[in-house]
Amino acid sequence: MRSEAENPWDIGLQNERTTLAWSRTALSFVVGGLVVVRFIAHSSTTLAIVFAAVTLPLAVVITWLAWRRYRRGQHRLHGRSPLPDGALPGAVAALAVLVGIIGIVYVLLS
Amino acid sequence: MAPQETSPDGTRRRPHRVYREGAEPDPRFTLANERTFLAWLRTSLALMAGGVGIEALNAVAPGASNPARTALAVLLLGGGVVCSATAFTRWAATERALRTGQPLPAPKLAPVLGYALTAVGVAACALLLITGS
Repeated sequence: MRSEAENPWDIGLQNERTTLAWSRTALSFVVGGLVVVRFIAHSSTTLAIVFAAVTLPLAVVITWLAWRRYRRGQHRLHGRSPLPDGALPGAVAALAVLVGIIGIVYVLLS
Repeated sequence: MAPQETSPDGTRRRPHRVYREGAEPDPRFTLANERTFLAWLRTSLALMAGGVGIEALNAVAPGASNPARTALAVLLLGGGVVCSATAFTRWAATERALRTGQPLPAPKLAPVLGYALTAVGVAACALLLITGS
């Protein structure tokens, strides 16, 4: 008998596709972070390393939370209970807003 | 059926304004809504990366930094901020509409973004022709 984890809830693989969308978004954070690191490295190598040390682990955390969300979603879809809430989307959107505001301030000051 | 305001683990589902009314929609719609949110978030990150890229030209190009480049960079970064904030508010509005059986909110930002990106592209071309970098 197949376990709940490997048996998809629907044939459209919605939960998997959503988790892959999360992975792409986390990768976008990595790419964006590296662009900024390359930019900062022109003026200060130390600042660039500090920025990389803060942002790259964040992308790993987002990916990990997305996979936890996948497992919970899978479990709840099979159990017919409600899906995970909007806390993670809200937090990640707030992070993106924060990154943009820091970027604007940095561009205007430099 | 009463709205399910708590998760199976007993914690309150956030944001509360989304979950306090309506019934659980088809989970496929909820997941599609989440993917749309994520696509908007990636769009916003791409806008911000574009802004940083344009500003980087100011750092490497010879001569003083060009204020037109800075303006374009701030515009793209600001667009990214607006897109990521709107991505979440629209996710919440859509989820509420799915729960209460109301029509989905109209995509107001999409046409604005289309025209704005056209303008930014034309401005970037003009900048390239005038300054040569």
